[in-house]
Amino acid sequence: MLWPGYSYSESITPYTGTTGNAAQSGLNWSMGDILPTPPGLDINGVIYNYTIRKNTNDQVDVYVQNERANGTGYIFREHDEWRPGSLDGTEINKVIPVVPQNRLNWGDGSIQVEGEGRVEDPTVIYSYTVDPCYDPQFSPNCPGYQRPEPPETPVVDYSYATDLTFVRTEEDEVDVDDVYQEEQDSEDAEQEESDEKEEMRLEAALAAADNSALFANALAQSQILAAMNNAVGMNSYYAADLPGGSYNESIVLVDKQLPENKRGLRNGFAQQLLHEEMVQSQYNLK
Amino acid sequence: MFNKTIKGMAIAGCVALSSGNIFANAAEVPITGTVESRCIIQTDNAGTFGNPNAYTLTTTPAEGGDPAVVRFDVTLADAYYAEITPPTSFSSSPSLPDTVTWTGGVQVKTVSDATGMGTYETDKVEFGNTDRYELTATGSTWFQIDATATMGGNKSFPGGSYTAVAEAVCVAK
Repeated sequence: MLWPGYSYSESITPYTGTTGNAAQSGLNWSMGDILPTPPGLDINGVIYNYTIRKNTNDQVDVYVQNERANGTGYIFREHDEWRPGSLDGTEINKVIPVVPQNRLNWGDGSIQVEGEGRVEDPTVIYSYTVDPCYDPQFSPNCPGYQRPEPPETPVVDYSYATDLTFVRTEEDEVDVDDVYQEEQDSEDAEQEESDEKEEMRLEAALAAADNSALFANALAQSQILAAMNNAVGMNSYYAADLPGGSYNESIVLVDKQLPENKRGLRNGFAQQLLHEEMVQSQYNLK
Repeated sequence: MFNKTIKGMAIAGCVALSSGNIFANAAEVPITGTVESRCIIQTDNAGTFGNPNAYTLTTTPAEGGDPAVVRFDVTLADAYYAEITPPTSFSSSPSLPDTVTWTGGVQVKTVSDATGMGTYETDKVEFGNTDRYELTATGSTWFQIDATATMGGNKSFPGGSYTAVAEAVCVAK
């Protein structure tokens, strides 16, 4: 039995990438909406940028953060402390490497602002690496790949067939007498078969003597069959119906006078003479 | 500090060789070393002059210009000053019909550490046309340089290409 297999090969080389701006639509975001789909994705860095809006003498604290997926605190939290004296309109641009952790550990992200101020034009980008062989079954080239078991043969339930009413009725009609009769019939058939074999051997011995009779019988049978076939064939003519009521003369003789056939006249006359001679000859015999 | 240390070691070697000079020839042993700067300056954006009227060239975005941006990357905290001087003349230009008046300024545009660099702008010191920033934190700081040139006597700038140069220097403390 043959099972379908992969005839192509995927690249199993780890690769890197970056997300789009997670804060494009607001200061809160879901990582599921930001990250691509591969399961073997580890986030290894956060890049963010924003402009602080505040009064020079105010203190504003900004947190760029991600919760842990299991809800136990933060997996990433960066604090920007804008102290009094820092100017309105100053941008911050940070690239923060983090210990690579699988995407499953990263919960929702947000920018939290504490104090009299706000952030403007925020950009938050995650950098990541993807190991295609995170799932060894991704490719036969992955370490730990196991050849998949062939699919089990499906079990088809035929019991519905016996659920049909008419089948159940037939089953109900079977009784002991019928079974006994079937067994008796079977034994009789076997006996008959044995007798026939014996007869055939006897017939073979007498075959040479009876060949002519057999041939005659076969010929008679073939003639009967031919007659039957003819009779069957004639029935279609009997049933035929000729269309129309009358058939007008369609041939017209254009000659006005037909000449006498002299050769015929002579021949007819000779016949007449011969006839008379024969008649007269009988009288001469007396 | 590192240069001074190397110099002291060289002098000590000479004294030792002198004491044995009676029985052997003199020899000079070179000791070399390389010091990589902990302050690197990169031009992030070369500015562009706009020409809002016949006698003005300016980097103001609202008037068609684009300020220059220079970045200081510091890996050793509290060891350097950033000294930045906006241009005060054209390094290349057509022949000018009159004197040009220059105005300009420098300001912190972007920081990589709000806590350590957030007050660079308010703490800066001006020496004439030069602004000095004390780089007390490690990381990157982007400085924006603005410049405006105004032709004197209400005369027009002649047609041609103009280039002016701002100067950014990282000075060790």
